[in-house]
Amino acid sequence: MSYREKENIINILSGLLITAIYGWAVYQRHLEGSINLTTDYNTWGSVFLVFILVSIIARIIILIIFHIINAIATREEKIPAEDERDELIKLKATRNSHYVFTGGFIMSIMALALGMPVYWLFIAFIMIGLLAEIIDNGSQIYYYRKGV
Amino acid sequence: MGKSHIKTNIRRLRFNADEMTQQQLADAVGASRQTIIAIEKGNYSPSLELAFRIAHTFNSPIEEVFIYEHMELPKKKK
Repeated sequence: MSYREKENIINILSGLLITAIYGWAVYQRHLEGSINLTTDYNTWGSVFLVFILVSIIARIIILIIFHIINAIATREEKIPAEDERDELIKLKATRNSHYVFTGGFIMSIMALALGMPVYWLFIAFIMIGLLAEIIDNGSQIYYYRKGV
Repeated sequence: MGKSHIKTNIRRLRFNADEMTQQQLADAVGASRQTIIAIEKGNYSPSLELAFRIAHTFNSPIEEVFIYEHMELPKKKK
């Protein structure tokens, strides 16, 4: 398995892990009553901002750990430089993830128009974002294996 | 996506060039080894620039390195 494929698998797993842990922590605070996610929509703003920050920091740490473990296991210290094929694969994967995100966004808005509670929209945004990321990394793995 | 209609002689040319490794060719043309593997397998059609760089590495004309198998495109309905 190439470095890029392993990197994409790590990205999918870390995305799932970070979202699950953060979602669980926020939900616990909601159950305790320290925040109210069903009526106080301003809280969602800070929930999203903290999630972005936590996500970036956690991903950096996870990628550093992955790089160290990979370097020890494969004895290759240098991260392979991106070439034209990597860039093309990334572009196609980004296109796929944008399709998913746009589709999910439109469906969420339609559900809101049909009477879904507003707080569900925020939950849907997090889930759609996660799904789009999985599609992005999954597409890259697919193109690396099947050709582009 | 999938197999392209461009076949290559890279494997043979590498063998003739003192059994050049895929990594050596990748370093010479500024691509990754994975890209060279994909080109050899026919899973990736390189850009014109990369194709010329590969040909230049082997001191061969580009048509000796890459062979295009012509296929009729499906006709558009009027």
